[in-house]
Amino acid sequence: MPDSPTRSLRVGVCGPVGTGKSSLIALVCRELAAELRLGVVTNDIYTDEDARFLRSAGVLDPDRIRSVETGACPHTAIRDDITANLMMVEDLEADFDPLDVVLVESGGDNLTATFSPALVDTQIFLIDVAGGGDVARKGGPGITRADLLVVNKTDLGPHVGVDPDQMVVDASAVRDGRPVIALSRTDPASVTALTDWLRRQLASHRTGDLTPADPGPMAPHSHGDEPSHTHGQGDDAHHHDHAHV
Amino acid sequence: MDRPPPSPLLLMLLADARLPTAGHTQSAQLEPATVWGLGVSEVADFIALRLRTVTRVEAATAVVAMHHLRAGLDVAEVEAAWAARTPSPAMRATSRQMARALRRLVCRLWPESPHLAVTGPGASRAVVLAVAADSAGLAPRDLAMLVGYDDVQTVASAALKLLPLDPADVACWVLDALAAVDALATEVAPLTLPSAIPAAGAPQIEAWAESHAVTSRRLFNA
Repeated sequence: MPDSPTRSLRVGVCGPVGTGKSSLIALVCRELAAELRLGVVTNDIYTDEDARFLRSAGVLDPDRIRSVETGACPHTAIRDDITANLMMVEDLEADFDPLDVVLVESGGDNLTATFSPALVDTQIFLIDVAGGGDVARKGGPGITRADLLVVNKTDLGPHVGVDPDQMVVDASAVRDGRPVIALSRTDPASVTALTDWLRRQLASHRTGDLTPADPGPMAPHSHGDEPSHTHGQGDDAHHHDHAHV
Repeated sequence: MDRPPPSPLLLMLLADARLPTAGHTQSAQLEPATVWGLGVSEVADFIALRLRTVTRVEAATAVVAMHHLRAGLDVAEVEAAWAARTPSPAMRATSRQMARALRRLVCRLWPESPHLAVTGPGASRAVVLAVAADSAGLAPRDLAMLVGYDDVQTVASAALKLLPLDPADVACWVLDALAAVDALATEVAPLTLPSAIPAAGAPQIEAWAESHAVTSRRLFNA
């Protein structure tokens, strides 16, 4: 993309319905609004509920929170045809120039939905303990390759019979060293871990060291004793003469 | 490339819903119509009504705009004629928003187009479609068919999200509407003057567009 190096850091937030995307954005705004110039774009499916939730949370000037309708295609709007979101991000950047960070919230979709690297510079994928302890093991492009995986609502673990620590271990096992944060709004250390990650991403963006990476469509996998790899993406694309199992 | 692709292929490219121009966000006012109570059995009539009214205005505007661009005439007069025939502020805003999305893509597909400079951020969709059609080497009739066909498919694909029905039925509606698209293209293809653009409004569709713009519950942008 022919972007200005001084434009905002665009951060995607995606993950299944109910994992806490809006709450995470509200949390980030609450923690960082005094320090960074923020904007938010939501992709609600049926209503502008998420945008209204964020506006009513009172953590950001309501005019800095915009919603994009996706025509019941939340996946398309962040991946196949990012036009509507890109225009909204650019409008925010123009209206509140300069912005430090624009957070783009995907419409709650499934485990396969991730952002196009042409829309966001870095992306957070959310899962939560209430969604079941096996979700991390199921994998998918967001879980395995998003820039940051957040295992949310860890404080609910005892109530839903899920061990958050095990979820983090399971997730870390498929992420090849990429960061995982076990997050709870009631755990200040986890909130600091999240905001510190965002500050580091912003610093990398400003120095030009942040290269948007595409998490999907295929998760890394291995064949017997070979190291794990992906297919058809960038420099590590290669050909096979054997079937995948 | 050595030789530009033939215009029928470029027409297919521009008519393809997979083109990244945010088309999936649009229902062509079908969503507010269904909220009002329009049922499955009336969608074909809705499509036909649009082709006789708002879509006819857009197709004629696009044809006249392409003539102006190719003849080196000012398109401002065409824009004014279109705006005067599009009384709904919401519909004008939607057209300009869609134009902006399309213009982004045209800048990538045909950056050499001399007309990008004269069609700025406030251009209507019909005028930016004319820029794209000019670069694609389309005839005026092709451009008018593109506008009509795209409108039919926009309603049809939105219907699949808004109403419970068989997707094959929707394909049948589109097939049935093609004769009207063809007739529309025949009618507007020879037009060259802004004053010749039909003033064919549809007050109910315009009212739906206005109500949709202020609702807080919607799947589609418009």
